[in-house]
Amino acid sequence: MTRKIRVVMARLGLDSHWRGSIMVARALRDAGMEVIYVGNQDPETIAETALQEDADVVGLSSLSGNHMELAPRVVNALRSKGGGHRTVILGGTVPPPDVPRLKEAGIAEVFGPGTPLERIVRYVSACFPQNPR
Amino acid sequence: MSEKSRSGEDGHNPREIIRQAFEEWRRALEREDLWSEDSTRSGVPVKPLYTPLDTASLDYLRDLGFPGSEPYVRGAYSSMYRGRSWTVRQLAGFGPPEETNRRYKLLLKEGATGINGVFDYPTLRGYDSTDPVARADVGRGGVAVDTLEDMRILFDGIPIHEVSTSLVTCNPVSNVTLQSMYFANALERGIPLEKLRGTSQNDFLMETAITTAPESLPPAHSFRLCCDAIEFCARRAPRWNPVSFTGYNYREAGCNAVQEVAFVVANAVACSEELVRRGLEVDRFAPRLSFFLSAHNDFFEEIAKYRAARRIWHRVMKERFAARDPGSLRFRFHVQTAGAALTAQQPLNNIARAAYHAMAAVLGGAQSLHVDAYDEALCTPTEQSALTALRTNQILLLETGVTRTADPLGGSYYVETLTNRLEEEILELLEEIENQGGMVRAVETGWIHRTINETAYAYQQAVESGEIPVVGLNCHRMEEEELPMDLFQVPETLSVQEKRLRKVLRERDEAQVQKALSAVEHAATSGENLMDVLMEGVTRGITIGEVSRAIKRALGTWNAPLL
Repeated sequence: MTRKIRVVMARLGLDSHWRGSIMVARALRDAGMEVIYVGNQDPETIAETALQEDADVVGLSSLSGNHMELAPRVVNALRSKGGGHRTVILGGTVPPPDVPRLKEAGIAEVFGPGTPLERIVRYVSACFPQNPR
Repeated sequence: MSEKSRSGEDGHNPREIIRQAFEEWRRALEREDLWSEDSTRSGVPVKPLYTPLDTASLDYLRDLGFPGSEPYVRGAYSSMYRGRSWTVRQLAGFGPPEETNRRYKLLLKEGATGINGVFDYPTLRGYDSTDPVARADVGRGGVAVDTLEDMRILFDGIPIHEVSTSLVTCNPVSNVTLQSMYFANALERGIPLEKLRGTSQNDFLMETAITTAPESLPPAHSFRLCCDAIEFCARRAPRWNPVSFTGYNYREAGCNAVQEVAFVVANAVACSEELVRRGLEVDRFAPRLSFFLSAHNDFFEEIAKYRAARRIWHRVMKERFAARDPGSLRFRFHVQTAGAALTAQQPLNNIARAAYHAMAAVLGGAQSLHVDAYDEALCTPTEQSALTALRTNQILLLETGVTRTADPLGGSYYVETLTNRLEEEILELLEEIENQGGMVRAVETGWIHRTINETAYAYQQAVESGEIPVVGLNCHRMEEEELPMDLFQVPETLSVQEKRLRKVLRERDEAQVQKALSAVEHAATSGENLMDVLMEGVTRGITIGEVSRAIKRALGTWNAPLL
């Protein structure tokens, strides 16, 4: 039996802009996924929540520039708790030169300013072809 | 021409003649399928042409009047930019205070006429730089300030007795502390508070609905702190604007033009009611209520929005609060060009966007203007992008001639009609907010969040469908583009702040600090004005983190209902 794709959406650090993360959360939900929106949390709590919620995807958002420090910490916390196979994606004000380093650190995909929601939905769906949208 | 022939052979009045001619003109367009209705971004219908027929019911003196006179539609001040140009107030803030101090000085040296200082995320949320949850955001999005010592460095060598300073404090929880630090620094420098000119942002919607983070103050308490600062300034710093209702940020979160104005006015009404309840005469505080609006893409809608806001504010203050001081009746506002309208794609295009936005702001009569830098969709502005933005502001002021006459679009059939229509829409929404129980209640119930959220989602979908064109994003795209500029790197901040904070903590009188913090907690609980307590407290070396923890211990915390 298949189940819906489960996504935990969080904002990193003290960045307080919610527009992007809420728009993405709504788009994923409208596409039939289950979205748990946790707002701002520290990286370890985000990882813990993702495991407790058995999330397939962890969506991170930041516009403050804290992503280079905090996004890899989410990946590491997931790995150390045995959840390293979960897909971590990041959206927000990420300068293009940061993207390769983030991917090296285990972020599956980075969605910069202006990314259509539809592209994010397609990406997440494609990660889990066995799951219905 | 005789009166008879002008009136027409059939005895119709001139308006009827115009109507007939217009209908004929319109039918010709319709035959070629060229007559269609469109609408502004906020949904106000727009016809292909406006004529005297659309503005026939305008009564000039009642509905428009003269600049600086009721109902203030044509401008807040009588001589407008001839008398005093708008303040060239470019936003700046990043890293440790010494770095931002250098940027302020650069902007002033290059002709900025006001300071517009933004604080980093931890400072705005009330955390010290060294707090574990804050460390990754120190120096980001603004300048780090932990104690009065940082404020001294931030304004070192800047003539704050002459230059007006806007403190982008955003949240009331940090505003009470930051404003106290700014005032305490001025007093140390021998500048009496009565002489200080400037503005604190201090909007409770910022803390609870617009840029939320977990554990903000509950809306009613955040609102009360906002009013504490207004009350304090009415008594002690009469030239300081103790609040700037941040419609700009409402807009950035997703509001349309109608919601932007309705929400700032509803917020200002709530504050005014509270201050009157506290026993202040309306004309004692209302002249210092100020507003901060966006200038977004829809050029004429934005201009009409500013004009409608002035008419509405005048009426609210006069009819609801019986204000008499012209200062209370005039809607004064700063404009920032819309950051949310900028693109990370082909970023140099943002120079053109921001210039159009800025033009709308001054055609709408803004008192103060920040032009966005072209790299703001990617990073904090570099020195080069900040200077280009400053120059854009100055080119508008000095080269285009827009300052020659007040309200140059007044009388335009289109702009007047749009002003009327926006006014109607805004008044309708104001009534809806009243039905929701007023602004504080509308935040508590999440109505505000839902309303903004819906508008933002609809906007996003319209961009994705191509219904709203965005050059470089959904049309005229270029694949594989190279970034045409350097990106800003935030200078090392945490170690600088850590070192300085350690020194302050080492040197301060712990007994005095504890006394000050108990006073803060006590005032928070008892309802005593927190500014009164903090003006003393900040001089004892208490930190912004200590203050916000004390306030939250007393008043509790709240998480905004976002999804």
